[in-house]
Amino acid sequence: MGTVLSYRLASLEETIAQLSREDCQIMAGGTDLMVQHKSPMGAPARFDKPVMFIDHLKELKQIDQVNQDLHIGACCTYTEILEHPLIPNIFKVAIKQIAAPAIRNRGTLGGNICNASPAGDTLPLLYIFNAQIRLRSSKGERVVGIQDFILGPRRVDRLREEILTEIILPEMLADRIVFEKVANRRADAIAKISFAGSMRLEGGRVGEARFAFGAVGPTIVRSLDIEQKLKGEAFPLDPKVVDGVVAYFDRIITPIDDHRSTAAYRKTVALRLLRHFLETM
Amino acid sequence: MIAKDISTSVKKKDHDGKISGQLAYISDVKVDSMLYGVLYRSPIAYGKVRSIRLPPLPEGYEKIGAEHIPGNNFVKLLHNDQPIFANEWVNYIGEPMFMLVGPKLDILYQLVDEVEVDFEEHPAIFTLEEAIKQKDQTGVFAYHEFGESLDVIKSIEKKAHRVIEEVYETGYQEHVYLEPQGMLGIYKADEILVKGSMQCLYYVKNALISALACEDDEVRVIQSPTGGGFGGKEDFPSMMACHVAIAAKVVKKPVMLLFDRAEDMEVTTKRHPAKFTYRTAIDEQGNILSMNVEVFLDGGANAGLSPVVLQRALLNSSGVYKIPHFHAKGYALKTNTVPNGAFRGFGAPQSFAAIESHLGHISSMLKRDPIQYKRNYLVKQGDPTITNGRFRDPILLEDMIQDLLQTADYTKKKEAFRAFNQQNKRFKKGIGASLFLHGCGFTGSGERDHIKAVVKLEKTEQDQVLIKVSNSDMGQGALTTLSKIVAKGLDLPYEDILFPDPDTKDVPDSGPTVASRTTMIVGKLLERAASQLKAGWQSGVAQEVVEHYIHEDMIPWDEETFSGDAYPAYSWGVNLIEVEVDILTGSVRIERVYGSFDIGRAIDERIVKGQIDGGMAQGIAYGFMEKMTSQLGKIQQKTISDYGPPTAMDLVPIESKLYDNPYAGGPYGAKGAGELPLTGGAPAVQAAIEDALQIPFYQIPVTPELIIESLTKKDGDARD
Repeated sequence: MGTVLSYRLASLEETIAQLSREDCQIMAGGTDLMVQHKSPMGAPARFDKPVMFIDHLKELKQIDQVNQDLHIGACCTYTEILEHPLIPNIFKVAIKQIAAPAIRNRGTLGGNICNASPAGDTLPLLYIFNAQIRLRSSKGERVVGIQDFILGPRRVDRLREEILTEIILPEMLADRIVFEKVANRRADAIAKISFAGSMRLEGGRVGEARFAFGAVGPTIVRSLDIEQKLKGEAFPLDPKVVDGVVAYFDRIITPIDDHRSTAAYRKTVALRLLRHFLETM
Repeated sequence: MIAKDISTSVKKKDHDGKISGQLAYISDVKVDSMLYGVLYRSPIAYGKVRSIRLPPLPEGYEKIGAEHIPGNNFVKLLHNDQPIFANEWVNYIGEPMFMLVGPKLDILYQLVDEVEVDFEEHPAIFTLEEAIKQKDQTGVFAYHEFGESLDVIKSIEKKAHRVIEEVYETGYQEHVYLEPQGMLGIYKADEILVKGSMQCLYYVKNALISALACEDDEVRVIQSPTGGGFGGKEDFPSMMACHVAIAAKVVKKPVMLLFDRAEDMEVTTKRHPAKFTYRTAIDEQGNILSMNVEVFLDGGANAGLSPVVLQRALLNSSGVYKIPHFHAKGYALKTNTVPNGAFRGFGAPQSFAAIESHLGHISSMLKRDPIQYKRNYLVKQGDPTITNGRFRDPILLEDMIQDLLQTADYTKKKEAFRAFNQQNKRFKKGIGASLFLHGCGFTGSGERDHIKAVVKLEKTEQDQVLIKVSNSDMGQGALTTLSKIVAKGLDLPYEDILFPDPDTKDVPDSGPTVASRTTMIVGKLLERAASQLKAGWQSGVAQEVVEHYIHEDMIPWDEETFSGDAYPAYSWGVNLIEVEVDILTGSVRIERVYGSFDIGRAIDERIVKGQIDGGMAQGIAYGFMEKMTSQLGKIQQKTISDYGPPTAMDLVPIESKLYDNPYAGGPYGAKGAGELPLTGGAPAVQAAIEDALQIPFYQIPVTPELIIESLTKKDGDARD
């Protein structure tokens, strides 16, 4: 039987120090990693690097408000986030649709981001909130926007020695905000397509509108261009404006056929949800 | 406890072991010097084996293959076309070719990875559609045709006001038993013992005798606690039993073969995909004049139980209706895909989905309410069956429908839904029903000619009573219900009746645990055995009573002409389902589920409620959720979450009701209840979705993808 070298250090400082010395597989809740690394029955999971456990680190489990921003520790579990009074309600709507209670007790927000699945359930909302990711290493720290941090399926802009410590959620003012997850069942399911949208009105006109789509491309799809163009449009929107936005996303959304659904379904549903959002208030 | 009424629920006999997690399933068993087996499976769909190159095997590791089979290299069932180890030709991706055995699983996986096999590949048949096109050349496992002559049907159609023809298709269904398949073979000097998860001990035993070419007393089969079967452990375990038995005989050590979920989903049997053509002639008033049905089943790579599944599919192709001038024919065809086998309902769920859909569509063409339209054709006591048998017992269907329409406030609800749908832009509500039956026990003369069930009750000197039957408790409660039947006959508390894990060394062949026959057929034999034991009870003396199956007086079944009484008794059901469909996403939310059933009399109300809730969930999911696809012979969904059986979040509490209609041929009036509740789920949910969207569907599952495609098409048509 193969053995797996692993660390479970007492503090964030020691963890960061060890990461500066050795390339490790960082593991928070393990709800994705243990599936990705599992062997057939009766054989141990396979890791080609030592495993660094971080799920116990108190430094990564805080939720605080700093000025208008919400700081969420990377190792807060979905359940902890769900139960916290400062978390915006729409995130709770999304988190309630993740897996099932047992997974929500283990899985973490930082883990959902670093796993960088195109279908990650928290990602569309994080995108439209303009979430920032704080990373630390022995050399210092940096903050990066989520859209720059996630590079592709399972690829993020994290250096070997870096650790994601917190997610910064700026306040978002909106008159309407929605999250929709479409899957083959209502629990323990991976999204076929997901959608997040928000809109703020100013004197009968669009003050700000944001949209993001999950599971329809290698990363979450959002367009600042089209959002900019919508600013100042009279609301309810002119049907031509709605058609224009829908046509725009029709061009940039490029989903695939797989064992969960079809490209045609994903695209049609994404556009239907978008249109419905634009036409309803 | 001694309950006055046998229907009163009791604590299940295996409750404590299961709830505490202490009950040992086969994968929990470890015995000294036990080896594991890992199967090398064909990576191609159809071809001839040219050569096999193994990596060097470390000490203690061995290859077990066809060369080690002392007897026949086929799994004995109906046809002899299922190799134990496919060593010459392979017929589907995943077909076992040989097995590597050894002490460590991780090493075995690595060795299997390094095997190289050279094949001469041949063009394979991957879909039922291709098989139908080529059926004249090859691969018909079974064929039947019966009913009114085609000339008569043709002349009726010629004079009819309208002839409505529809094609209808049903998909795969996977059993998703909680416990994947597992089997342990143990070598002993004088016998090979096989233990495992199974429904049919004697199927396994007979397969072993054939494979090992040995005497009856040289093999022994013990059923281990079985975590769900649904038919998936009817035919399939026989092959695994042959694998471990042959290996154990060669290495003279215990050999364990366990599947994990992905392997189980990829290579074990599924529900037969089916294609139907219904052609119905109607007059100007919409009355049905004749009906002509054609059925094709995708049998997969070997016959397995497909011929019998085809029979049940055909026997149910007219639903619960008396149709004038009915004709049907059907084929079970070979494809180079995973073999399809037994699955709760056994061909009937496909047929009921098809006939209910077809009559539903006709009624909406005629602008009639589907339930009212179907009610004109309900079979009644004394009516002939489509095979010229007789519905001999009282049929309560009409009362059940009447009751349910009132309980659900059907007419009012339909109006309320129509109003809701007009006003709501996103969500549409609908209500749909299904009417169905289940023929209890083996099809035709199977019980009399093939099974010939025998049961035994043993009483010890201490006056302890033991049940000796070959039937499995796979979660459906047979341990409890059969104990209750015996206890009632003996006026003893059911807790005092012992029911050890069935062991072929110890129990007679009371038949397989299938076909909704266990309570009705085996239970009746035990009821008789109990009364015989009671009549001759001698305290302090060891006693034994044996009862043999007695065939009821019926119209003799003739398989050749497909005529006579196919079943001794029928259970009946009515389902009503309310849904809300999201037209932006095609997602369907189940809002209310009603199920009314006549199963004679319940032996235990809570156990029956368990069968109803589980069966209906499985049937409803078959209609709109559970989607399994095969691409170039490979099953695409290898995890439970991708396949998508329902969770508690996808269903609502099921409002069910039982109708008392005791059947003299069953113990205390009981009929079969295991399969019936699954049968009506899919057609009712399809009807409800159709009602919500006012769009007909011609296949199940009615997935969100299909709904969105149909809605898009409808929008396009409306614009044109």
